[in-house]
Amino acid sequence: MIKITDLEKFYRTEEVETIALNKLTIDVKKGEFVAIMGPSGCGKSTLLNILGMLDDPDGGSYVFNGVEVAHFNERKRADLRKHNIGFVFQSFNLIDELTVFENVELPLIYTGVPSSERVKRVEEVLDKMQIMHRRNHYPQQLSGGQQQRVAIARAVVNKPKLILADEPTGNLDSSNGNDVMELLTDLNEHGTTIIMVTHSEHDARYSHRIIRLLDGQTVMENIMI
Amino acid sequence: MYRNYFIIALRNIRRNLSYAFLNVFGLTLGIASCLVIFLIVRNELNYDSFGHKADRTYRVTLHAIDYNSNVSTAIVPTMRVDFPELEQVTQVFYQHEGLIKVGQSIYKEKNYAFADKYLPSVFDYQWIVGDPKTALAEPNTIVLTETMAKKYFGQQNAMGQVINLEKQYNLKVTGVIKDIPGNTSLPFNFLVSLETIRKDLSNFFWSIPGGSYAFIVLPQNLAVSRIESKIPAFIKKNWGADIAKAAKLPLQPLKDIHFDQRYINNIVTPTSKETYWVLAGVALLIIVTACINFINLATAQAIKRAKEVGVRKVLGANREQLIGQFLGETTVLVLLAVFMGVVIAAIFLTQADKWLDIKIGAEQLGEGGVIAWIVVLTVVVILLSGLYPAFVQSAFQPVESLKSKAGISLKGLTLRKSLVVAQFAISQILIVGTIIVAHQMDYFKNKDLGFNKDAIISVGIPDQAKRDVLQQQLTADPGVKDISFSSGAPAYNNSFTSLSAKELGLTKDDVTEVKFIDERYTDMFGLKMLAGNKITKDTLHHVVVNETLMHKLGIRNPQAAIGKKVTLNGNYDAYITGIVQDFQSESKHKQRRACVLMYNPKIFFTASIRIQPAAMHQTIDHIGKIWSAQFHDNVFEYEFLDEHIASLYKQEQKAYTAFGLFSSIAILIGCLGLYGLIAFAASQRTKEVGIRKVLGAPIMSIVGLFTKEFVWLILIAFFIAAPIGYFMMDKWLQNFAYHVNIGATTFLIAIAASFIIALITILQQVIKAALANPVKSLRSE
Repeated sequence: MIKITDLEKFYRTEEVETIALNKLTIDVKKGEFVAIMGPSGCGKSTLLNILGMLDDPDGGSYVFNGVEVAHFNERKRADLRKHNIGFVFQSFNLIDELTVFENVELPLIYTGVPSSERVKRVEEVLDKMQIMHRRNHYPQQLSGGQQQRVAIARAVVNKPKLILADEPTGNLDSSNGNDVMELLTDLNEHGTTIIMVTHSEHDARYSHRIIRLLDGQTVMENIMI
Repeated sequence: MYRNYFIIALRNIRRNLSYAFLNVFGLTLGIASCLVIFLIVRNELNYDSFGHKADRTYRVTLHAIDYNSNVSTAIVPTMRVDFPELEQVTQVFYQHEGLIKVGQSIYKEKNYAFADKYLPSVFDYQWIVGDPKTALAEPNTIVLTETMAKKYFGQQNAMGQVINLEKQYNLKVTGVIKDIPGNTSLPFNFLVSLETIRKDLSNFFWSIPGGSYAFIVLPQNLAVSRIESKIPAFIKKNWGADIAKAAKLPLQPLKDIHFDQRYINNIVTPTSKETYWVLAGVALLIIVTACINFINLATAQAIKRAKEVGVRKVLGANREQLIGQFLGETTVLVLLAVFMGVVIAAIFLTQADKWLDIKIGAEQLGEGGVIAWIVVLTVVVILLSGLYPAFVQSAFQPVESLKSKAGISLKGLTLRKSLVVAQFAISQILIVGTIIVAHQMDYFKNKDLGFNKDAIISVGIPDQAKRDVLQQQLTADPGVKDISFSSGAPAYNNSFTSLSAKELGLTKDDVTEVKFIDERYTDMFGLKMLAGNKITKDTLHHVVVNETLMHKLGIRNPQAAIGKKVTLNGNYDAYITGIVQDFQSESKHKQRRACVLMYNPKIFFTASIRIQPAAMHQTIDHIGKIWSAQFHDNVFEYEFLDEHIASLYKQEQKAYTAFGLFSSIAILIGCLGLYGLIAFAASQRTKEVGIRKVLGAPIMSIVGLFTKEFVWLILIAFFIAAPIGYFMMDKWLQNFAYHVNIGATTFLIAIAASFIIALITILQQVIKAALANPVKSLRSE
């Protein structure tokens, strides 16, 4: 599903050039659950941003579903992204001014799903995430665990092929964290490919494979048994 | 999707109430001001446009020595015969006041006219009852406006009722028309048929009674030049070659009357179109200031919305959708402001007559043209204030904006500073303008008048035979300080004559103002004699002339003018016995005229009475009683001399009041924006202030941190505003023959005012930031 080859990303200031990704090559197959680990500054988030088409690489190739996307412009990337990729963030990134229902509805609005269909699909996914009873609440009125459930609901409502999760349990206690990991595993078991950046060995164990990065390069890959 | 935009717009307003308030309040004031100015400018620029023949209607005027809007009453009947190609020729004999008696009630009414039967077919008056074709055809008929009909007869039918005018004519009501629009150069409360006074009208060309006007209507497709070219022959044929040589009859387009300041004897003082274009410019500055506020506050706030933009982009929103969303939010705020602006404008218009002396009904806000203008204004304001912030906000990159609050740098800082400079510059231009207009107004009313105007009232003398008795009784009142009889106080000029001085080489008759005064006049008004003697009693062939006349006679030294002979009115020889320093006998729009003062008790129609300042009202009441006892069929009326002088500058006063008001609004709107901006800057720099305080910075240095930036912005603005302000106001002052000079003080006041206004605006926020506990601000980070 994803094939990146010799991927490069630099951050430049007037005096310093930092290499975030250094000729990185990774393959992720459809239906895989991959965890990416590594110390701070190793390039994990940069990689996730490029995989999510939020950022473009400075060099190398990125093939998504058989299409080279490394040189797509912003509009094309946005189009591909909204139909194929869901995001889960450490800090949830819910819009404070919108209710739970409206937050989850948002990706459907941007993909042009008609209103009646939207209501059906949002209710379905809220039900599945067990936060239906909170549908009219605002994010600030929810606990961290509940907010992350909403964020996951929002990520999956469009039935994406790929979910990118950036430390999804980083702001949660262990009990809520485990619940989130169970949800992601469940989604993966139903066919969604998941790439998750994490610092937690515990969370990484939910995945099929761990890719360890250091200074923008792969240093080790563990297959989980 | 639009529902979503609308919801989020409303919730954002709720969350950032103070920000929304600053924006909406500023825009509301801006839109209300713009609307009111639009209606004022429309009202003024559409003067005399209400009739469907307005474009083809001309006033026949006289140009002999001066441009005179009055013509001989002989012109119209003769023109009607000699110019059969004209669609209409009509004659009006205008009167500024008249005594009306209805039953036992007596009213002193202002503004009415004797008019021939053709007048109603020239102007589209709206007839409630009566036949416009015949209502003014017969002698002793009167057509009332609706207000007058209600005033005299209440709910009764006015038709057929009899009204007495000037104790002389019994007039039958033959029609009632709707009140005429306020923007007409021929305002009246009622029309009396000209046939009523036909026998009194002269056929002499040079007999030009005040108030005698002539209008013609050209048929469709006839060029005015065709008529103009025939006029010299027309004058020659009817009044002789000499008069044809000396006089022209220019045809003045009806729609130009209100703006043609060359003419004397207008009913409504003409104004300059420039004044109203400048006012429209002020409206533009106000709306720009309000939009700048919006842009500044919105872009400053944008940082708070960065995360939301990032999330939306991650979820698939493209830039156009985000621009649409932010413009949608602006639209909600602007619509709210437009709604409130219209309400405020409507309330203001009900009082505009009182404040600005302009009659504009609030119902005009509902007219199609005005609604279309409101829609255009709304769209312009939405785009002007919404587009830039929408572009800035929609350009945030999701990777950056999702990282952290501090991760995103706020773009457009230079633009925001430039906009603040623009706002300061606008305020300073308006301050400079207002100060100069105020100076000029003070100069009009109080400076260089050449006479003492304090505490003097003018009262009419209807019967000269009772003048001496009146004088005796008034002098006995301890509240009366002094009294003088004349044809008018120095600031009233109503008598003119021709003057020549063959011995001094002035053979051509020149127009000269003449004032008939008694022996007290010179002292009471404090006129300054430069040479010779004052006017005394029974000096029939002695005259005192002013400096301007002396210079016209080619004499420089006042002493040398004494004893020189002048001829008045072509046949009256008189000798100069004194020279008086020039005094302002009319408005300062025009150069001072030559003036002759002489004694003639037959023409002492006015008593000028100086009153003791203490118990002024009781004294005037007492004068009124004495006066009414002498002239019991008349209504006692008086006018303060300084109020009369002020009335010469009615148009300027109107403009001054408008400028003062709208400039204050523009400055207030600018302050709102500045307040919002500094509040935002203070909240953004909380951490910096905290660190500085921990490191030992005193409060004053923190205050300085925030204020020094504004000092620079104000200075830059000043260098932009000063030349623009100077240029604009210098041009405006050129409208007047006598005006103030623009001094450096004006500009110093403007910049000082800018500093003070800015300081007052930002001080509370800055001090709050400087006094905040650093522990809190650092912990919050």
